[in-house]
Amino acid sequence: MLSFATLTRGLKKGLSVTWELGKVIVPVYFIITFFEYTPIMDRIAEIMQPVMYMVGLPGEASLPLVLGIFLNIYAAIGAILPLDMGTREITIIAAMLLLAHSLPMEAAVSKKAGAKVASLLLVRIIMAFLVGAGFNLIL
Amino acid sequence: MPYTDILMEAVTGSVDGVLTLAVIVIPLMIFIEIIQDLNWLDKMTAVLSPITRFIGISSEAKLPIMAGLVFGISYGGGIIIDSARQGKLTYRDIYLINLFLVICHSLFEDTFLFAAIGATWLPILIARFFLAIIICWAVARFMPVPPEKASDTLD
Repeated sequence: MLSFATLTRGLKKGLSVTWELGKVIVPVYFIITFFEYTPIMDRIAEIMQPVMYMVGLPGEASLPLVLGIFLNIYAAIGAILPLDMGTREITIIAAMLLLAHSLPMEAAVSKKAGAKVASLLLVRIIMAFLVGAGFNLIL
Repeated sequence: MPYTDILMEAVTGSVDGVLTLAVIVIPLMIFIEIIQDLNWLDKMTAVLSPITRFIGISSEAKLPIMAGLVFGISYGGGIIIDSARQGKLTYRDIYLINLFLVICHSLFEDTFLFAAIGATWLPILIARFFLAIIICWAVARFMPVPPEKASDTLD
């Protein structure tokens, strides 16, 4: 049944998710912003350029992609925000990240739920790059 | 560029980003609690009937899939474990539900977060949903149906 408790519980959860994402986004945002003023960022961008080019993203976008795949979506968002990407780029990276994110954590869930995870991880990574390349073509 | 300027850029930018997301996340969590308290999940599972039938898995798969789509993969995983303990799911079902959910889950939260920072969300949602269905269908063709469960998948 719906009651006042539903609203307060929802509000509490919303605030707790905001806190959780803030705890990740703020430090990642800081690090990436400072990175942008160092030659390290240019080097990373240069090295990753050939790979990221296939999905229509700048080399810098490899950072949020890696953060999202190994940590979580919040970390990825913290790194996307300071990079000033356009709608098209954000849509491509969002599609890729939504297919492949928090891999260590979510693989643990699948394992606990009783599935063999190696093939699941492979499907996610391959799909992410295929969909990234596909969106790059159609958008 | 002086360090104080970079610091200010990081402070305003990150706080701004978190606030943008808070405006989306808080109403969304209230909405999800409403879904839970009104027991909509059970009613919504009917929508998945054509999909579980198309893929060829037990109709018991509808609840964990719907839970994963609405509440996320951890919650969906919890329901898979429950159903598996009650002996309602075969390994084939469990693997295919997991495959579906790793491709497509937390539809509300994930989609809204990226929409909040500027992504065009509809094509992403469509791509994830149809990929999950097509890939599960294709993989299901290669997984033999356990004989004692064969009749269950046809309901």
